[in-house]
Amino acid sequence: MQKCLKEMMPAARNNINTQFIVLEKGRTTLEGGQNKTCLGLVADESASVHFQFWNEECEAFHPGDIVRLCNGIFSYNRNNHLVLRAGKRGNLDKVGEFTMLFVESPNMSEISWIPDPNNSAIYIQHSLISPCSRIFPPML
Amino acid sequence: MVEVVRRKNGIEPHAPVMLRLLYSSEFVSFIDVSVQRKQEMSKRSEVLTGDQMASSLIHKAIYEADNPFDLSLREAFQLLEPQLRPPFPLTIREEPEYFTLNRAILYGILTETHLAKVHIKHLHGIVIDGYCFFTSLLCKVVDELYSKLVENVKVQLVYVTSEMIDVSATGVDSLLVALLRQIRGGDFSEANLWLCSEMVNLFRGKWECLLEEQPLVLSSALYVFLRVLSDHCRVSLNSKLEILKQNEIKFCIRVFRDQFHLCLKIGRDLIRLLQDLVHVPEFQDIWKDLLLVPASFKTPGFSDVSQLYQSRTCSRYFLLRITPEMEIHLRFLLTQVKLGSQTRYQLWFGRKYLNAPEKETVVIDIVRFICCAHHPSNDIIHSNVIPRWAVIGWLLKCCTKNHIEANVKLVLFYDWLFFKEGVDNIMNIEPAILLMVNSLPKYIHMTHNLLEFLFLVVDHYDIDRKDLILIGVSSALDVLKRKGVVESFDVLTSCDMLSPFLKEKLVKLLS
Repeated sequence: MQKCLKEMMPAARNNINTQFIVLEKGRTTLEGGQNKTCLGLVADESASVHFQFWNEECEAFHPGDIVRLCNGIFSYNRNNHLVLRAGKRGNLDKVGEFTMLFVESPNMSEISWIPDPNNSAIYIQHSLISPCSRIFPPML
Repeated sequence: MVEVVRRKNGIEPHAPVMLRLLYSSEFVSFIDVSVQRKQEMSKRSEVLTGDQMASSLIHKAIYEADNPFDLSLREAFQLLEPQLRPPFPLTIREEPEYFTLNRAILYGILTETHLAKVHIKHLHGIVIDGYCFFTSLLCKVVDELYSKLVENVKVQLVYVTSEMIDVSATGVDSLLVALLRQIRGGDFSEANLWLCSEMVNLFRGKWECLLEEQPLVLSSALYVFLRVLSDHCRVSLNSKLEILKQNEIKFCIRVFRDQFHLCLKIGRDLIRLLQDLVHVPEFQDIWKDLLLVPASFKTPGFSDVSQLYQSRTCSRYFLLRITPEMEIHLRFLLTQVKLGSQTRYQLWFGRKYLNAPEKETVVIDIVRFICCAHHPSNDIIHSNVIPRWAVIGWLLKCCTKNHIEANVKLVLFYDWLFFKEGVDNIMNIEPAILLMVNSLPKYIHMTHNLLEFLFLVVDHYDIDRKDLILIGVSSALDVLKRKGVVESFDVLTSCDMLSPFLKEKLVKLLS
């Protein structure tokens, strides 16, 4: 089932199916000396989130691209940064360009999450770190 | 029959046991052959949608999703491939098989260059709708896939279009218009110049036939080639491109000299385009005759260039200079994006369409499109969606060259100059006044710049017909106020920051 970005919560499961528009991309860097990674800002009509592009994905997608993500994962990366990514089992497809509305706030990566006291298997929102991305501030 | 068999046996449709029964000899005799074929089709298409079947039609980038239309053509071809080789049966196909066969043949023509003639023959044999469905498929290929098409496929596309002209296919006019829309203004890439060249050769080669069957499409072609000539005549071209330029000129001059009534169809924007070619010797003669010897065009009723001024250009001409993709993006911006959220869209639009200095000329076409071919509904006008004047303000600021900026301002005011209530549309003149009024006080420079330009063209656009233009501009101002687009012009006439000279001129116009 397709989810909107606002409904996501961090989990170590690759079960996120969604569609978003790429707003911005950062610089591509080498992780562990071999794999390229690139952090980007993506959004839909409900929220934005930081997306981690991996290897060939870094060059394949551009700001303005509408992307479909199948079996993605929303979790903490090596730098303890909360990101959405395709992961090993996920899939990314460019399905269009330009014609998608979006909001930049809230940014799901700029929320601090804590384990649910009633159910330690899931995370709940604890506090807002910033209303928008601090890495990719909104363009006015 | 199959359904009856299924129900009797209580077997679910598509159950494997049913498929096995379908192919066993004792059942085949009971089953309608066409139903059996459908079963085979669905079975095959399941196999064929796999990764092994790459498109021969389009270049697909890594991570790009399958294009559903490309897929539908490809699947039809794979499905009916055995039937696409002679000898062809003489059966008359019914829908939906007829449609599938059309798709299959189209894919064959476009991708199997060596068999294209055979496929075309096949098409001629099976056609029962005057090629209506076939040309609609071709239009969709052009509108949705053109920029992604493999080079050979583009060659085939022009070839099959030429065949469609020969048989006077229903819808061939739309197909030619679709192809003309793919010629990009301000684009000197080899691919774009190739398309210009193929299209101008097609129009010249099929002149007689088109004149008889589709004369209006010649007016469309004239509009397009006059516009691209302003690009092609501005730069010094190599010899190959010099030939293209000469062919475009020959085509345009032929329309003017032999079929001037088709020029008249375009209306006032014909003069606007011609003005950019005033330095080209062949068009200087046209100019002289338009202004001094109108009778030389031998067109009854045409006696003065002001007749062209007073004829509003139909919006379909403006669409000709915007690719379908650009149109989709512009309309999205102007109907969905809220004022204040437009920055990223503008950035992406600029990166995609205006990313080189020579591409800037397309801004002229875009602004003309926004003024005359994109008229928002009242709901949109009263919503917080970004208004047309704001987008035009942004586009004006994108211009780095003076002559382009001047042209953009001219297209913004062009319908003001000859405005006549009842003939002209208030929506065409609305963006200019709103841009001037809403730029105050923060962007006073914009207001000043536009107002100054308006007075400049009133005085100098056509000195011999200055009275006509004065009447046009006065009527435009009058109707803008009367219909409530602006409550009054006081915001301009009493603005301290505007120069007294401009205010004085405006007051004079308003009186």
